[in-house]
Amino acid sequence: MSSRTITGAVAALTIALTASSGFAAEKKLTIGVADALTGGGAVYGLPQANAVKMAADEINAAGGIKVGSDNYKIDVIAYDDKANPTEATNAVRKLIDRDGVKYILGFCCSGSTSAVASFIGNEKAVMLVGNAAERSITTKKIPNLVRTRPPADYTGQAAGTFIARKGHKRIAVLGALDVGFYAQYVDAVEREVKKTGGEIIAREVFSLRDRDMTPQLTKIRGLNPDAILVVGYVEPAAFVYRQAVELGMNIPRYGFTSGSEEQFLRVTTSEQMEGVWDLRPTELTLLSATKNGIAYHANYTKKYNASPSPSSPYAYDQLYVLKAAIEAAGTVDDTVVVAKAIRGLPVPPQVVMQYQPVDGKMFDVNGQAYTSNGAFQWQKGKWVFVEDLPSDSKAYSQFLSTLN
Amino acid sequence: MLIEILQQTINGLAIGGVYVLIALGLTTVFGILGIAHFAHGSISMFGGYLTFFLVTSQGLPVLAAIPVALATGILLGLLVEMLAYRPVRHANHINAFIVALGLTMMVEGINLQLFGHEQVVIPTGLSRVFRFGGITVPELRLYVIIAAIVLVVAMMVFVERTKTGQAIRAVAENRDAAILMGVNVKSIPLIVFGISTALGVAAGIMVGALFAIAPGIGEGFVVKGFAVLILGGLGSFPGAILGGTVLGITESIAAGFISSAYKDVIAFVVMILVLLIRPQGLLGRTP
Amino acid sequence: MLALRDIRVSYGAIEVVHGVSIDVAAGECVALIGANGAGKSSTLKAICGLVPVSGGSVQFEGRDITNASGHAVVQAGITMCPEGRQVFPQMSVIQNLRMGAYTRTDKDQDADLARMMDMFPILRERQSQAAGKLSGGEQEMLAIARALMARPRICLFDEPSLGLAPKIVASVFETLAQIKAMGMTILLVEQNSMMALNLADRAYLFEAGKIVMAGPAKEMKSHPDVMRAYLGH
Repeated sequence: MSSRTITGAVAALTIALTASSGFAAEKKLTIGVADALTGGGAVYGLPQANAVKMAADEINAAGGIKVGSDNYKIDVIAYDDKANPTEATNAVRKLIDRDGVKYILGFCCSGSTSAVASFIGNEKAVMLVGNAAERSITTKKIPNLVRTRPPADYTGQAAGTFIARKGHKRIAVLGALDVGFYAQYVDAVEREVKKTGGEIIAREVFSLRDRDMTPQLTKIRGLNPDAILVVGYVEPAAFVYRQAVELGMNIPRYGFTSGSEEQFLRVTTSEQMEGVWDLRPTELTLLSATKNGIAYHANYTKKYNASPSPSSPYAYDQLYVLKAAIEAAGTVDDTVVVAKAIRGLPVPPQVVMQYQPVDGKMFDVNGQAYTSNGAFQWQKGKWVFVEDLPSDSKAYSQFLSTLN
Repeated sequence: MLIEILQQTINGLAIGGVYVLIALGLTTVFGILGIAHFAHGSISMFGGYLTFFLVTSQGLPVLAAIPVALATGILLGLLVEMLAYRPVRHANHINAFIVALGLTMMVEGINLQLFGHEQVVIPTGLSRVFRFGGITVPELRLYVIIAAIVLVVAMMVFVERTKTGQAIRAVAENRDAAILMGVNVKSIPLIVFGISTALGVAAGIMVGALFAIAPGIGEGFVVKGFAVLILGGLGSFPGAILGGTVLGITESIAAGFISSAYKDVIAFVVMILVLLIRPQGLLGRTP
Repeated sequence: MLALRDIRVSYGAIEVVHGVSIDVAAGECVALIGANGAGKSSTLKAICGLVPVSGGSVQFEGRDITNASGHAVVQAGITMCPEGRQVFPQMSVIQNLRMGAYTRTDKDQDADLARMMDMFPILRERQSQAAGKLSGGEQEMLAIARALMARPRICLFDEPSLGLAPKIVASVFETLAQIKAMGMTILLVEQNSMMALNLADRAYLFEAGKIVMAGPAKEMKSHPDVMRAYLGH
C-alpha cells in the first residue's frame, strides 16, 4: 500500500465523516392545507392558504424543521374545500389516503371544519384549525386537533361588556344568525348587556348571498335602537354598513366581521364606514401589530401583491406551532407524540397573533388558543386599534372545558 | 308605520326592476321559442362583470362602459341563438332544455375563469342620499329605478308600436299566421335574443352597481325570473312587469314585517297563493 | 299569373298531392273543390311556403317561387287567408290589421286601414278589442281584411266557411263576391262546393290528391258526377 493510497483513503474518510456530521440529510415533509379557495368562504380561506405557503417558504429558507440530525424542507399541498362539509371531507381524505399527509392546516370556515373534526380523531394525523369560530370544534377534546382562533362567544362576551360600558340599552342585531357561531357571539353579547339592564330588541337575519339589506334595516330603523350590531361575513356586512348610511341611520354601529380595509372599500366608501366598530380577536391590523405583525404584513403584501386578511395569521401561526412541536417531539412520523407536544408548547416566538397563554401554554386542555380581543374603529379609511377588550382566557378556558 | 311601508316599497322597487328586466327577456324568449333559457342569468351577470372590467381595468367612465356592455349583450344574444339554440330548433324540447343547462354551466365557468370568484361591485361614485320626509332614497337606487322604468317603457313601445315588435308578438301568438303576414320567422329569434340579452345585461349592470356580482348570483336571478313569469302569467308582458314589481316589493315587505329569515320563502308562498287563486298567473290568459 | 305544374306535396313519407297543375289568370276567381283530405289545402300551403313542395314547380307572374320561404312569397304578392281564421288572439283588431300590412313600407297603410273598417264596420266597432274575443264570423272578417291589408295581387282563401253558422257563411261569401268585384285575383279552397261554384269563374275538382275534373264553374255545377257527389242532389 503506497503512501498515496493511504492519503487518498484518509481524505475520502474525512469527507464522508464531515458529510454525515456537519451537513444533516435533506428530507421532505409534506403538509396539507384544506381551505376555501373559491366561493363565499374564499375571502378567509385563500389568504390562509397563502399564509401557510409563505410560512413554509420562510422556514425552508431558514433551514427547515430540524429533527435530530435530519432537516425537513416543507412542501405544501392545498386543496379547495369551498367551505363545504362534503368537499372538505373529500379533501382531507385525499390528503391522508392518497398524499400520505399527516399534518393538515387551514380550515377557515365552521361548517367544513366541523365535518372534518368529526372524524379526525380516528386518523393518524394532526389537524390545526384556523379561522373557524364555531365553539363546538374544541369542546370535544379531540387529542389531535388544536385551534388558533378563539371561539366566537369568547369574543362575544368581551364585546358585550364593551357595548354595555358605552351605555347602549336597546341594541338591534343584524347578522348571519343561522350560522351557529355568530348566534353564539350574539348570545354572549346579550348575556353581558343584560347585566347592565340592556336588551337585544331585534335579531334580523341575512344570508351569505344577500346584498340588499334595506328591508331588514328599515325594520330596525322603525324600532329606534340605540345601536346596531352586525355579525357575519365581510361581504354582506359591508352592504349593511353602506345601506344603513343610505337609510339615514345615524346610530353607533358595532360589528364582528374581521374584514380588511380593502374588503370593505370594494363595497362602501370610507365615509360610509366612518366610526364603525369591529369587536373581534386582536388580529392583524397595521396599527396594533407587533414587530412580527408588521413584518408579516410587509412580506405577504410583497409576495401576493395584496394585503393579508386580518385573520390569515391564524394559519401562518399554525405552521410555526407545528415546527416547534415536531422539533420538541423529535419525530415527524409519530403524530400522537407531535399532537401531545403541541398541547405542551409555550407560544412560539415567530407567531403573529397576540396569544394569551393559559398556564404558560399556548393551547389549553381543549386544544384551544386564545388571543386578546380588541375594539377597532374605522377612522379615515383605516381600522384603528382603540383598546383591548376585557377578556379572561383562563375563565373562558374553564367554561369551555365544562362543555361537550 | 306608513313611512315604513313606503320605505319598504321603495326598497323593493329597485330589486323588483331588476326582476322585471330579467323576466322580460325570459318571457320573450319563452314566448317565441318555447325555450326555458336558463343561461339568461349567467349571461346577464357576464354583462355586469364586463362593465366592472371596463371601468376598473380599462379606466372607462361608467356611462361609456354601459353602452359597450349593452352592445356586447346584443352580440352575445345573437351568438347564443345561432350557435346554441338554432341547431336544436326542430328537435325535441328536451334537447333545447339540455342545451340551456349546458350553456348555463359554460357561461358560469367562463365568468369564473375571467373574473374570479370574489364578488365585484361596479364603482359608480354615486353616494348621495335623497330624503323625502321620513323616506330615504339613495341616488344610485333612484337611477336604477328610473333606468328600469325607461327600459321597460322602451320595450313596451318597441313591441306595441313598431312592426318588428308586433312581428315578435305575432310569432309568439301564431307562428304560421305570422309567416302568412310575411314575417321572416328565422330572423325573429335573433332579434329576440339580441334584445333579451341586452335587457339582461342592463339588469346585470344594475345588480353589479347596486349590490354585487359573484358566482352563482345569476342562477339565483334566473330562478326569480321564472317565478316572476309564472306569477305574472306565462308569455304576458304586462304580467312580467307586474309580477317582477310585486315579487320585489313582497320580498321587501315580508322581510320587514314578518321575518328576514324567510324572505325568499315568503315570496314563494305568495306566488303559490296567487297561483291557487289564479292558476294562469296575475295577468295570464284564461286557458 | 299563377301557374302550378305537377306539384307534389308530402308529409314525411306520405305523399298527399300527386302532381297537380293549376292556372289562375289575373282577375280570375278559381275554386278548388273536393272532399275533405283530397289535398286542396295542402296545395295552397305549398304555394305559400308553409309546407315544402317535393316535386313540380310554382310560377308566379313568370317568376319561379317553388319552395320560396313564406315571407318571400308574401313579398312576391301572394297572401293567404288561412283555414280557421288564425287571428292573433291577444292582439287588438287594429294590431291584427296592421300585421297584415307587415311587408308594406308605403304611406297608404292608414288609408287602407280606414277602408277595411269601412268595408267591415264591425271591425271598427271592435277595433281595440283582443281579436280572440271576437265571434267566429267576426274573426273571419278580420282574417279577410287582414289578408287584404297586404295589398296582394292574388289572395288565397283556405276554407273561409269552415265552422261558421249558415247565416254567417252567406255573408262571408257576399264579402268574397265583393272582393272579386273589386278585381282581386282569387284562389279559393272550399268544401262548400255549391257556394264556391256560385262564386268562382273556374274550378278544379280534387279527389285523393289528384285533379279529376276542371272547367268553368257553371259547367261543373251542372255536371252530373259533381252534382251527385258534392252538391247533394
